[in-house]
Amino acid sequence: MDLEKFKVHGGVLIYGAMVSIALATLAIIIGLTVFKKWGYLWREWLTTVDHKRIGVMYILAALLMLFRGGIDALMMRLQTAAPEMKFLDAQHYNEVFTTHGLIMILFMAMPFIIGLMNVIVPLQIGARDVAFPRLNAVSFWLFFFGAMLLNISFVIGGSPDAGWSAYFPLASIEFSPTVGNNYYSLALQISGIGTMLTGVNFIVTILKMRAPGMKLMRMPMFTWSVLITNVIIVFAFPVLTIALALMMFDRLFGSQFFTMANGGMDMLWANLFWVWGHPEVYIVILPAFGIYSDIISTFSKKNLYGYTSMVASMVIISLLSFLVWAHHFYTMGQGVMVNSFFSITTMAIAVPTGVKIFNWLFTLRKGRITFTTPMLYTLAFIPIFTIGGVTGVMLAMASADYQYHNTMFLVAHFHYVLIPGAVFAVIAGFHYWFPKVFGFRLNERLGKHAFWWIIISFNVAFFPLFILGLMGMTRRMYTYSAETGFGPLNMVSFAGALGLAIGFVILVYNIYWSTRYMPRDTTGDPWDARTLEWATNSPIPAYNFAVVPTVTDRDAFWVSKQENIPLFKDQIKKIHMPSNTGKPFILGVIFFFFGFFMVFSMWVPAIVSGVGILITLCAMSFDRDHGFYIPEKEIIATEKKLRGETV
Amino acid sequence: MMKQLFPIRHVLGYIASLVLSAAALAVIYLDLSRAANLVILAVTAIIQASLQLFLFMHIGESADTKKELYLNIAYALFVGLVTIFGTLFIFVWGWYA
Amino acid sequence: MKIDASKPLEYSTEENSNKIFGFWVFLGAEIALFATLFTVYFVLVDRFASGPNGSELFEIGPVLLETFLLLTSSFTIGLAIHAMRHGYKKAMMFFFGITLLMGLGFLAIEITEFFTYVHEGATLQTSAFLSSLFVLLGTHGAHVTFGFLWGTAILIQIKRHGINPATANKSFIFSLYWHFLDVVWIFIFSYVYLKGLM
Repeated sequence: MDLEKFKVHGGVLIYGAMVSIALATLAIIIGLTVFKKWGYLWREWLTTVDHKRIGVMYILAALLMLFRGGIDALMMRLQTAAPEMKFLDAQHYNEVFTTHGLIMILFMAMPFIIGLMNVIVPLQIGARDVAFPRLNAVSFWLFFFGAMLLNISFVIGGSPDAGWSAYFPLASIEFSPTVGNNYYSLALQISGIGTMLTGVNFIVTILKMRAPGMKLMRMPMFTWSVLITNVIIVFAFPVLTIALALMMFDRLFGSQFFTMANGGMDMLWANLFWVWGHPEVYIVILPAFGIYSDIISTFSKKNLYGYTSMVASMVIISLLSFLVWAHHFYTMGQGVMVNSFFSITTMAIAVPTGVKIFNWLFTLRKGRITFTTPMLYTLAFIPIFTIGGVTGVMLAMASADYQYHNTMFLVAHFHYVLIPGAVFAVIAGFHYWFPKVFGFRLNERLGKHAFWWIIISFNVAFFPLFILGLMGMTRRMYTYSAETGFGPLNMVSFAGALGLAIGFVILVYNIYWSTRYMPRDTTGDPWDARTLEWATNSPIPAYNFAVVPTVTDRDAFWVSKQENIPLFKDQIKKIHMPSNTGKPFILGVIFFFFGFFMVFSMWVPAIVSGVGILITLCAMSFDRDHGFYIPEKEIIATEKKLRGETV
Repeated sequence: MMKQLFPIRHVLGYIASLVLSAAALAVIYLDLSRAANLVILAVTAIIQASLQLFLFMHIGESADTKKELYLNIAYALFVGLVTIFGTLFIFVWGWYA
Repeated sequence: MKIDASKPLEYSTEENSNKIFGFWVFLGAEIALFATLFTVYFVLVDRFASGPNGSELFEIGPVLLETFLLLTSSFTIGLAIHAMRHGYKKAMMFFFGITLLMGLGFLAIEITEFFTYVHEGATLQTSAFLSSLFVLLGTHGAHVTFGFLWGTAILIQIKRHGINPATANKSFIFSLYWHFLDVVWIFIFSYVYLKGLM
């Protein structure tokens, strides 16, 4: 066999990456063996079907990917910091901006959000678990191994290099002959299937597993946003599935979908990509709206202003999100009618979004505001996101877009939308719900330090890009000459990127510091919050609620605290739990190998692993495991222990 | 026994779908206008799909999920039709010429 | 496990009715999936380059046979579920088995068709039209193939364990899947074959 195609040549950085991956893997294996943790890892994590643990794994994976994507970002800003930089070559730069986009959207923002929803949503609706716990594990492992498949491309065979949107004909086998875009089509496919299954799971969970009295219009806003997000996931991801499949057929089997000859239509790819891609933007942003709504309400000590209009605007956004995709390619050649139509639908989205902004402001009005770390991120989100939104309306005007199209102005715009809209939200949510999962808060002083670093550096890093865009700097340029005058502002932007990195380092240090020194919380409700997840103990016991709560109002927990209405009326009874299973993990591993063999067109092993997938699915169908019961005594003992009482 | 194994609704639904499939053949055997042909295809296909959905798949049978199921199908059709017609709008009807 | 005797066996537990509901949601995703494939087909249908177009390629005979087999199998899986609700295990297994055999027959014809096309020089690589045709038909065919394997696994479980809440639930969900494949075929029949021959 020809080993040459597996090799990646690219100088010191690539070899450095290879060595560090090898060393990290070795360190993990040695660590697990020395501390005898293999059994623990398998029993408690790899085979778990507990939504909280799956959520924690999603978030860990997301943090890991944030690190990877962040390094990519630093390399890009360094390469463009000054004219004629020689840090990366053109090919390497292409790979870095491609993987930066892919990883940040699909393997950082999405899993972070899915992680938070896994941990929190069942608690917010007073459920014991998600509707399909085993399917949930399947979703996670498909996502995880899809992400791993994309990440190994860096050192085996070469990364995708045609941008995260992989436009044809550039992404075709003719112009991108390395396996990079094969990785793209297969890794995204595998994790995309996982995401779609998550969508099904959470729709059923939210619609069918709510505690008695939890009517739809009593649900916390985060749960509402997750419901709508998952509806978008279920109907948008199939489009990506098809687009990626066609890409794979074009690249591996010589079909003519997006080719330049034999009737192929390269623009059809861009079309399909954005039919999925625009709803995808709302998939990462709507949950953020939910997180902010809950945080604002908690730290203003007020119920959310305009609850019904919040829900309505999210429903409208979800429908409109499917009607705007052509604004990503106004300059492609479609006629005036088409551009006008999509221009209007795009601007229309600003209306429901504006409604939400005003609702948050009115919730804050006359509230007793406490400036905790999650609240600070939320307050910073509102103005920054508004800048992103307003520049979005500028871009939405088709005729004006001919000037902005594919310039740094666009890059600045979507970072101004996605970073406050998704990243600040997941960080805020992370700080807010951390004590629920681990039983202690993160340190506020360190948290605020990190906050100021991140907020200020974000603006330093991205605001200059608006100006650079208007000056005419296009995106994805790997270098430029001094005469362009792009140099100074790019240097400012690089300084901002460094500041962001420092902010994230402080954030991670805060996790370490707080784990060692923060006092344990035995109340389960450290923020004096409003929704049901705070009514159970922290850390959350496996069964979530010893007794299923009865809900009488919106902000059920707050009302029960204020008016002394008991939430838990029943006696403690034995609780049915699903058993752990290793099959989802095994399925993920086989999918990983299937993807890998397909990437390198190794048909026989690919077919063998394909059969392996079918056999695993069959084994899952024949499973006759009906779970187990936690006895009453054990529940009572656990409850006492978590409240800090002696058993 | 036969009556219990072959419920009349199912049998009628089956016959109806065979008849509708045969009726759709009109578009290739009769010399109709293109517009008429497209109407025939749309009508026969949509009735047949509805037969499956309502008669065979019992979409309306479970009272506690009926509304959600209709919403689900409606949303899916919305996305599907928007994708089909939006794309045709971009590439065929609305293409810059 | 709480069993609600007032409902059919396949809905009888909360888990069971959740599964049915979840599968419907999944079918919603499948609608979006096939709609995308039809989108691609409609955009590329006139881009047959130097290859044959639909009216030169399609033959109505095998297509009618395929249609008949799928329509009938959709009818028999309906009968199987009906028999299951009355507790007739044998009749149910009979209808279920017939369904799967007809699915197999459908696949045999489709594969023969594919071979004929390729033999006539119309391959996946020939033109954009043919690429989209093969992938649209192939995705449907792959669903039927998967359905055949899945249905066989369920049939074995019914034989082993009889009709109980778990197997009834699986069979019912399978029937939804099978009917859905028939719906997709109706649109392929109308908008690929008949429209192509029109």
